[in-house]
Amino acid sequence: MSNDDDFAAAYREHYWAVSRYVARRLDGRPSEVEEVVAEVFTVAWRRRADLPPAPLPWLYGVARNCLANAVRGHGRRRRLVDRLGNDDTAHGRHIEAGPDAETPGAWVHDALARLSPADQEVLRLTAWEELGIEEVAVVLGCGRRAASMRLHRARRRLRAEIDRMRPTTTAALKENGHG
Amino acid sequence: MADELDLLRRANPVPVDGPHFGDGPLDHHAERQLDRLLGQRTSRRPRLYWGLAATGVVAALVSALLFTGQTTAPAVAAPRPLVVRADSTPVPLETLAERARAADGSAELRKGTHVRTWSLGMSDDKPPITYPEERIVRWNADDSHTETVDDGHDRTTRTYPPSWSDAPPQSPPPHDVPRLRAYLQEAAYSKTPLDTGELLDAVDYVLDTWQLGARESAALAQLLADADGLKPVGQVTDRLGRRGQAYVYEQSATRKMLIMDPATGAVLGLETTFTKAEPEYGVKAGDVMDYSAWTR
Repeated sequence: MSNDDDFAAAYREHYWAVSRYVARRLDGRPSEVEEVVAEVFTVAWRRRADLPPAPLPWLYGVARNCLANAVRGHGRRRRLVDRLGNDDTAHGRHIEAGPDAETPGAWVHDALARLSPADQEVLRLTAWEELGIEEVAVVLGCGRRAASMRLHRARRRLRAEIDRMRPTTTAALKENGHG
Repeated sequence: MADELDLLRRANPVPVDGPHFGDGPLDHHAERQLDRLLGQRTSRRPRLYWGLAATGVVAALVSALLFTGQTTAPAVAAPRPLVVRADSTPVPLETLAERARAADGSAELRKGTHVRTWSLGMSDDKPPITYPEERIVRWNADDSHTETVDDGHDRTTRTYPPSWSDAPPQSPPPHDVPRLRAYLQEAAYSKTPLDTGELLDAVDYVLDTWQLGARESAALAQLLADADGLKPVGQVTDRLGRRGQAYVYEQSATRKMLIMDPATGAVLGLETTFTKAEPEYGVKAGDVMDYSAWTR
C-alpha cells in the first residue's frame, strides 16, 4: 500500500477516536472539535510518510501538538484557549446532561484540574484513551520508562487530591455507585 | 474505594459509547475532508536525501555516546543524594546572576540536549528501583531531530521529522528576564505565573530541548534569583564530578536541589529528593526521586 492508502485507512479507522481525544480536551464543543480534528488530519497528511504501522498513538501525538499550538493563541485560537483556560467550564461543569452525566464527573475533574497539565495528560491518555504505557510514550514523545514514571507519579498525585476531597468522594460514590 | 484510574475512567466526558463521536462510518463532513486531502497528492518529500543525512548524524551520535564513559546497569541501587560540603560558603543567587552577566561566556544557544537522568521507579508491590538513562538530542539543519537514548540496556536512535510547533519549548528561549519568564510559563502550559516548584519543572522541560547559551543562562540565573524560597546551601560535587553551587526549594513532600555552575550560572543539574517516607511505595525520606545532569 502507498502512504496515501495507509493514510486513508488510518483516517477512516481513527477519525472518531481522534475526535473523542480532541473533544475530551475541548469540553465536547462539536463545532470546534471538528475544526481542530480537521487540522490534525491536515498535519498528519503532510507527515503521512512517517505514519507508523500502529497510527493511533501517533495521531494523538499530532492532536496534542495541534492543541498545544492553540495555546499560542491568535484570533480563533485565542478564543478556544480562553475557553480551555477557564477551569469552571473546562472541568466538569459542562458535561452534557443525560442519563450517564452524573457519573463521578465533576469532583474527579476538580481533582484532576489541580494537577499539572503534564500529569493531567498522562492520566487522561491512560484512563480516557485507554492507552498502554508504550502508546503513552509515543504520544508524549518520550521513552517507555519515562512514561511509566510520569504515570506513576501522576496517579500518586491524583490519589492525594482525591484523598483530600474524600468526604465528598465517598458521598458521590454512594450516590452514583457503579460498583 | 475504587482505584483512582477507575474513578477517572468513569468521569470520561466523551466515552466511546456516548452520544457524540462514537465509532462508525465517517459523516459527510469527514468524508469531504478526506477527499480534499487525497486530492492534494503532490510531490513527495526527498526521502533518500533525508535518510543519508540522518545516517551521518547517527554515526556522530553513537561515537559521542561511546565517549561519555561507562554504561550503567539497567537498574542500579538508589544513588545517594548529593552532599553539601560542610565547609563551603553558600553563594546567593543574586551574586551568581551578577557573575553570569559579567562572565565572558562564549557558550552559544544550541537546540538539542545531552542529559543523564536517574529516575526512581516505584510500585505497590516491589521495592523502588533507580533507572539510569542517557539521552542525546541533536537537531538537524532541516529541523528534524535525532534522539539517542541509552538506558544501559538498550540503545535506541530515532530521527523525528521537523516539528510543526513554534511554541515554547520548541521556539528559542529569550535572554531577557521578563520574556524568559513568559516563555517558561508557556512551556509549562500554565495560565498563571509559575511558582518556584513549577519554575524548576519548566527549566527541566526547556533543558530537555535546549542547551542554553551564556546570555540565556545569565537571564535564567537572574530569574531564579527573583524566585521565592530558593535558598543557597553551598557547594556540591555532582554525579558527573563537577563542582556546583546548590540551591534548595522545599515542597510539601519533596525537596528540589538545583545545581549551578559557580562561574557562569549555567544549570548543571536538578535533584528531587523525598523528604517524607512513602511506605506504600517502599520509599524512605532522603531517597532521590529523580536526578538530571545536563552537559554540553
